[in-house]
Amino acid sequence: MGWFDATFKTFGITLKNLLRKPSTVEFPAVQRERADRYRAASFALLHDENGEEKCIGCKFCEWICPSQIIAITATPKRESPFTGKKRGYAEDFTINLQACIVCELCIQVCPEDAIVMTRDNEQPGFSREDLVLTMDKLYANEKKTRLSWHTGAGLMEMQNPQRGQEKPAAAGAEDKPA
Amino acid sequence: MSELMLNPWIRALFWGLVMITGVMTVTAWSTWFERKFAGRMQSRMGPTLVGPLGLLQPIADACKLLQKEDLVPDSADRALFNLAPILTVGFALGVAAVVPFTPTMLAADLDVGVLWLLALSGLMVFPTWMGSWASNNKYSLISAMRAVAQGISYEIPMVLAIMVPVIMTGTLSLSDMVADQQKNGWIIYRLPLTGFLAFVIFFLAGLAEANRIPFDIPEAESELVAGPTTEYTGMKFGLFYMAEYIHTLLSSAICAAVFFGGWDGPIAPGLHWMLLKSVILFVFLTWVRWSFLRLRSDQLMNICWKYAVPATLALIPVTAFYTVYAAGKGGV
Amino acid sequence: MTAIARARAPRPDPFLDIDNYDPEADLMVMNLGPQHPSTHGVFRVLLYLDGEIIIKAVPYPGYLHRGVEKLCEKLTYAQITPIVDKNDYVAPMLNEQAVNMAFEKMLGAEVPPRALHMRTLIAEIQRVASHLLWLGTFAMDLGGALGGGTSVFMYCFREREAILDLFEKLTGCRFHYNTHTVGGQRHDIPAGWAAEVHRVLGAISDRIGEYEAMLSHPIFLKRTKGVGVIDAQLALELGLTGPLLRASGVDHDLRRDAPYHIYDQIKDLKVAVESDGDCLARYKVRVAELRESIRISRLLVDNVPEGPICGGRPIKQPGQFKAKAGQVYVGIETPRGELGTYLIAGGGKMGDTPYRLKIRPPSLHALAVVPYVFPGHSVSDAVAILGSLDPIMGEVDR
Repeated sequence: MGWFDATFKTFGITLKNLLRKPSTVEFPAVQRERADRYRAASFALLHDENGEEKCIGCKFCEWICPSQIIAITATPKRESPFTGKKRGYAEDFTINLQACIVCELCIQVCPEDAIVMTRDNEQPGFSREDLVLTMDKLYANEKKTRLSWHTGAGLMEMQNPQRGQEKPAAAGAEDKPA
Repeated sequence: MSELMLNPWIRALFWGLVMITGVMTVTAWSTWFERKFAGRMQSRMGPTLVGPLGLLQPIADACKLLQKEDLVPDSADRALFNLAPILTVGFALGVAAVVPFTPTMLAADLDVGVLWLLALSGLMVFPTWMGSWASNNKYSLISAMRAVAQGISYEIPMVLAIMVPVIMTGTLSLSDMVADQQKNGWIIYRLPLTGFLAFVIFFLAGLAEANRIPFDIPEAESELVAGPTTEYTGMKFGLFYMAEYIHTLLSSAICAAVFFGGWDGPIAPGLHWMLLKSVILFVFLTWVRWSFLRLRSDQLMNICWKYAVPATLALIPVTAFYTVYAAGKGGV
Repeated sequence: MTAIARARAPRPDPFLDIDNYDPEADLMVMNLGPQHPSTHGVFRVLLYLDGEIIIKAVPYPGYLHRGVEKLCEKLTYAQITPIVDKNDYVAPMLNEQAVNMAFEKMLGAEVPPRALHMRTLIAEIQRVASHLLWLGTFAMDLGGALGGGTSVFMYCFREREAILDLFEKLTGCRFHYNTHTVGGQRHDIPAGWAAEVHRVLGAISDRIGEYEAMLSHPIFLKRTKGVGVIDAQLALELGLTGPLLRASGVDHDLRRDAPYHIYDQIKDLKVAVESDGDCLARYKVRVAELRESIRISRLLVDNVPEGPICGGRPIKQPGQFKAKAGQVYVGIETPRGELGTYLIAGGGKMGDTPYRLKIRPPSLHALAVVPYVFPGHSVSDAVAILGSLDPIMGEVDR
């Protein structure tokens, strides 16, 4: 009769799973291995090889963020001490991690590859100020956290290898399909 | 010391304390076992943090429940609300008085042990109902209706099923029943083999009385939050929760005593056999709980009235005829 | 007249007479309420009960309304994808796919074949994950948070974790990937992914047999057979699509009947159809779909064509996608039914944001069935039916 047969089968399955190794681990004592491309809701701003800040204060990331968590104050263009050319700088760069939706768009649009996400997903804090990253914390994250794989150029390369190094056109240009 | 024990009041107090302490301790660690077992069966670890292998988890649970805010809803009936968990646990523990662990380790060697335990199991329906009525909560009301219907319906197969061993052994006293099984073989395999069917029905009825899956519709979390105990917090909820486990454990102990021979065993009869059999039955109960889905209220009433009651009603005359016939021919 | 007969007697439209409803004195009014352990997000159903039988049920969605459509009116096409991701939070790839297909149709963007292939592949893998979640939560609704249902739930989620790991290797996120973009994909397939997909899906297809065995127990059959029957007429009138429609006997699947992407290249796309229309039929349809999706995924992952993954320009500049005025509708087959995106673009100065983005959620139509199907059943059945309808409140309320 259906009852006995099904009952024994059910017992068999639960017994089989009883004898399997558990598929959970005791977090946080044991951490799971994350994928190569893992991205977490935290950011770092990078310096270039001269030690200068890469961020030129173009505000593309502030514009593109769907949650509007980035706030940048840009300075007027001034001469760079390393290359001698005039370039922009960001005076103030604030990211409010509380509303980040981890969409990676700010990474993608950055023309200078200045902003990246990190692989460290545990960013607890005791107050809301701990979750708002100011410029010094962002630049410190470059050394303090493990960085994720992607940069603006990397993502561009992945999405369209032939046109990977194209500079962004001025605002208002027409969109041309491939 | 032995003069003191001759005094019935002192003896009652002593055994009461021993039984209550023993049963509560075993219950507490049975929750640990259940969580560990359920965890492993679901491909995850159970409690691991508190103590080695999570063995101190019941203590952590007790502390957690004790420090919770004790809420009594404004529109609730205070007296009944506070009384219900106490009565539930009281009745559940009362059953422990007649469970024959060994011939000497028995709190109350009643001549009508079976009647005592059936009466207390039946009484447990009242505090469930009381708790939910006093809560003044629609979810509790629906759960309690289901629980009461289930509880009083499944008493009938329970009573009738336990008549089979009573008839076979000829006594209502639990310790005499076990002694008889030691002499004449366990009920479960005694002719005319109605003992096995009686065991299955008694076991299922015990599950239904304790509101365990597959009969746990009164406390169906996915529908009615927590059933009759929705409004209870803290240790009052802890008492309800414990009462369910106590009832389950003692059901398995009673089944072990009445159907499987209690302290009897092939070598060296004693307490260890009783405990082993109870534990095996409890493990089986836990296994059933974590493997099956629950039956709907009217479906489980169907099973009771259309299948369990007629089956037990059929078992009794068969057992009676066989017992008298075999006695007439010189057996038993 | 018995309670069940009274409940099943022909009734006028429950929404037309809601103001004139005269509750009889002996009916208890109970909320199956927004906070509820039943695992379907915040959804309220007002039940008029006679004992345990439901006489009338009134659904009240809207507790999870977040103003997504209004928000999208001021976001550019590049920014909308991660927002819309959160609608059907159980199968996010399909949300992104629906919205980006509409954008591409509107903007005239070409999608390269590799991206089309990838989209179909990850949509099918996402369908597997979604149905696994449904299976687990359905068993939990029937069997309880402290019981056998949880065992099935844990098993299903164990398998689903493997799929989420696959997606983490592909996109970097386990959930809410933002991997689709206008014109294609943003993340390419990493090395060794195809072998992983085979391994994971192979393991799942072995284990589905286990869960089916656990759920072919007579208890499950008793709880689901004959419960919540939706006949084909009602399904068609209310606009049900997907597994709900197919379980009621109507053979309609967008992947086969209105193929998009590379669904027309998939040979023998088996569409599961049952005719009973009860919870058991919906269960069977979804499990069959699960198996079929595993088969399709394993087929597709082996022959992904080479080439770029994004036609047109990748997102490099805010406001780079500008649309002319017009309107477009695109419907895709999600695990819940037809997810439609209706896009009206303004053109001219308003060209870079939509004028109106309307999302047609399949779960909303599924919930419309509630007043018609609940009466006559008991409260336990109501929970089972709600589970089998598979509503996701994120997309119902947006």
